[in-house]
Amino acid sequence: MDRPVGAALRRRVSRVGRAGALERRALPLLAVGTALLLVLLFYYPVATVLVEAVLEDGRFTFGPLADVLGNEFYVVRVFGFTAWQAFLSTLASVALGLPGAWVLARFEFRGRETLKSLTMVPFVLPSVMVAVGFYATFGAAGTLNDVLGALGLGELDLLPSLGAIILAHAFYNAPLVTRVTTAAWESVDAGAVETARSLGASPRRAFRDVVVPQLLPAVLMGATLTFVFTFASFPIVLALGGARYATVEVFIYSAVRQLDYADAAALATVESAVSLSLTALYLRYERAQTAERRDVRPLTRERLVPESWTSAAAWTRERLASRLAIAGYAAIVAVVVLGPLVSMVYASLTVDGQLTLDAYRFLLRRQVSGAAFQVKPLPAVLNSLLFGVATLVVALPMGVSMAVLTTRKFRGRTLVDALSMAPLAVSGIVVGLGLLRGLVFGIEAFGYRFSASGPAAIVAAHAVAAYPFVVRNVAPPLDGLDRTLVESARSLGASRVRALLDVELPLVWPGVAAGAAFAFAISVGEFDATVVLAEGGGTYTMPVAVERFIGRRLGPATAMGTVLLAVTAASFVVIERVGGGFRGR
Amino acid sequence: MSRTRRQFLTAAGAGGAALLAGCQADPVDDGSDTPDGGAEPTGTTTGTGTPGTADTLVVAAYPPFVDAPSTSPGAWLKRKFEEEFDATLVYQTPESELNYYLERAIQGVDFEADVYVGLDTGQLIDADNRRGEGKFTDPLFAEAGDLEGLDRVRDGLMFDPQDRAVPFDTGYISLVWNATMDGGDFVAPETFEGLTESEYEGDLIVQNPTTTATGEAFMLHTIKQFGPEGYLDYWDRLRDNGVTVLGSWSDTYSAYENEEAPMVVSYSTDQVYAAAEDKDLQKHQIRFLNDQGYANPEGMARFADSDAPRLAREFMAFMLRPEIQAGIAQRNVAFPAIDDAPLPEDYSQYAKEPPEPVTFTYDELQGNREEWTDQWARRFAGG
Repeated sequence: MDRPVGAALRRRVSRVGRAGALERRALPLLAVGTALLLVLLFYYPVATVLVEAVLEDGRFTFGPLADVLGNEFYVVRVFGFTAWQAFLSTLASVALGLPGAWVLARFEFRGRETLKSLTMVPFVLPSVMVAVGFYATFGAAGTLNDVLGALGLGELDLLPSLGAIILAHAFYNAPLVTRVTTAAWESVDAGAVETARSLGASPRRAFRDVVVPQLLPAVLMGATLTFVFTFASFPIVLALGGARYATVEVFIYSAVRQLDYADAAALATVESAVSLSLTALYLRYERAQTAERRDVRPLTRERLVPESWTSAAAWTRERLASRLAIAGYAAIVAVVVLGPLVSMVYASLTVDGQLTLDAYRFLLRRQVSGAAFQVKPLPAVLNSLLFGVATLVVALPMGVSMAVLTTRKFRGRTLVDALSMAPLAVSGIVVGLGLLRGLVFGIEAFGYRFSASGPAAIVAAHAVAAYPFVVRNVAPPLDGLDRTLVESARSLGASRVRALLDVELPLVWPGVAAGAAFAFAISVGEFDATVVLAEGGGTYTMPVAVERFIGRRLGPATAMGTVLLAVTAASFVVIERVGGGFRGR
Repeated sequence: MSRTRRQFLTAAGAGGAALLAGCQADPVDDGSDTPDGGAEPTGTTTGTGTPGTADTLVVAAYPPFVDAPSTSPGAWLKRKFEEEFDATLVYQTPESELNYYLERAIQGVDFEADVYVGLDTGQLIDADNRRGEGKFTDPLFAEAGDLEGLDRVRDGLMFDPQDRAVPFDTGYISLVWNATMDGGDFVAPETFEGLTESEYEGDLIVQNPTTTATGEAFMLHTIKQFGPEGYLDYWDRLRDNGVTVLGSWSDTYSAYENEEAPMVVSYSTDQVYAAAEDKDLQKHQIRFLNDQGYANPEGMARFADSDAPRLAREFMAFMLRPEIQAGIAQRNVAFPAIDDAPLPEDYSQYAKEPPEPVTFTYDELQGNREEWTDQWARRFAGG
């Protein structure tokens, strides 16, 4: 059997042999660079804030931290409720996301690739737009009630409520679950399933014993991330739940607003500790799960629509059942995911129910005649794209090299891994404040004040926030790769980097592509760090523009939100198309 | 002051090149007066003048003051000011507003802003309370002094006992209500007590006092009404009657526009927008509970270490001139701080003034505000 990778390997190996010292050291150098960036852009800035939780008048007292931990209101009500809503949100996200992965990974249909790319779109939408969309869809006078009313059913009063918070969290995070699970499903080896079947396993049994164990790390990964994100949820809770459902992050924000940094830092420390512990727990689990695989031949996908509608074979009971399930799922997705998006676009096109392009005229007018100090749409679009691409360029090598590093066996690697995942687990408000103090204001040393802001700093901050997604999408399949493949390549004279590029990467490519999409999405959707690091000179992005265009009229902000939607949707399709090419090489 | 205007401008110009690198190192003087490396605040700022013009005034403001989707006074003010004075006006609009400058003061980092526009009583208290922390030793704001036009400012609006902040406009927090709801039968209650009656169950949307200025103002108004001992019980009754408390003013306003409820806490100038947008004024009725409106005057103050103090004072006096006052009021959709601003006839028709403005003074708020807000958050989140 001539596998494509084997062929590529032979072709490449003949060309290498004189690998330079630089190439041999490229991986460790990248890892060191990543660590430096992390310290500079994450650990130091965040430490400047969190230190207030343990310091009082320059002495270590742990007073503020003890105050929070000894306070029943904070521990029971605030942290308890925060964890509870995060738990429910995670359940909802997994429930909504998993069937999507099944459809995308197991069925072939027109536009499958495009649909897969578009799953990332909700991820970048600013929360204000989600709130607008949710009110228009699920509110008392919303579309859902109109439809229910037309069907003669009773009205629902969904907002504000815990249910609305959970639904919105599912809107954001179900795509994430779908995304990582699809990537894992596509790397499941068809050979293993066939072997199980030939040994007499029923399809159900083969699925349970062969496929599920390979999907579980991805599902738990999605669940862990969802929990961590929704644990630190803030704008959605404020907009859809209100003060009665306040989470930890709401209390952190209001403490920061009142300049009460001791309280904010103490709350943020406990919050980060919970998130980090969970991440570490997941990482331990992930380690235990790796099963070595020789090579990957993806499962063949079933046609969603039968070739012939009339043949009896096309409509077995099983087929009918799965198609009905997909139709039902599509209906739910249309309500929960598409509903808010369509409502937002609709809001940008109407005033009091009348169709109008006023909002887009506003964008045009602002572009043409806005003052230099005002936010304009076109630079926002260009900046977002530029930062997104630059983030990809920085975060992919960072993520891949960290993935390679952490899949090696060494003492304390779970700790290293957990620390490198920390950017996901720390409150955005705290990171923003830390960047302001640590980077924008700068550090005094050797008689100079070193400060950083502007595009380079923004890209670096985005890359730090984004690269954990690359690591988490690449590390598990990398860990499961057959070591002998790499070793043979090395013994044939390939450098470590060559072996990585020619042997390992092609085998884990679905993960890399998924990580790339996430990196781009994180960069486009990022708000806190962007707004802190953006100096004059117009380094604002699309979400910043949306935020600025909010006013008494919804039009301008929703129009800018629609532009963001269109631009990012197109970008994801492009990323997927370009990224998908590598695999078939 | 070792730092000169020109140095700042060159630094800001060079900032363009430094931006690409993204980082910079600037020599530190002996601590007290650090030349700033052109690190401008967060958010969006530009409008740097060409080096060599006579003078530059750096005005710090909250973002919507220069960049609102409808109207904002920023661009107009800059043009008017530069027409008359041989100077360049540069805006800085940090996303975290005054906190940005307080942070800088605490960290001992210099900044270029000369005047802050858009200060309220709470922010002034924050600034004063933080003094003494870190490297924040000198006063942040200077006294306004003998400013031309200061005597025109309406008495009730002056909110700074130390005469640093000078009000330039004011808004009143009130209810906005929709008369077309309940099949056109809805009428907002006249009193605070009325809001807790069962016929208004689920009818009110309010902003979160811990995260928004309007929400805080409404909460303070209930403290005015029921006292520090009684306001939490009143909020219990509001909660039992189904009040909705959302995070930001725009969250609540978009919920109101989606007809989630017939009443929302907002500004009494609501109809100015509605009329300009040809909206149904029935949906934008104003109600002053107990015939009162909570006044939130906006002030401006000169930073104490501004190195253009003369120009800063000229700017503040300029802001108080009747025709400028009228222009700001219309573009910021607020009331002027003086009585004789030449506003158009229909402005007073749409901008409603409460029969009795109420507000807490600086002294009443200092030391209480945080506790009141915290107590509120704990009581309310508990439900």
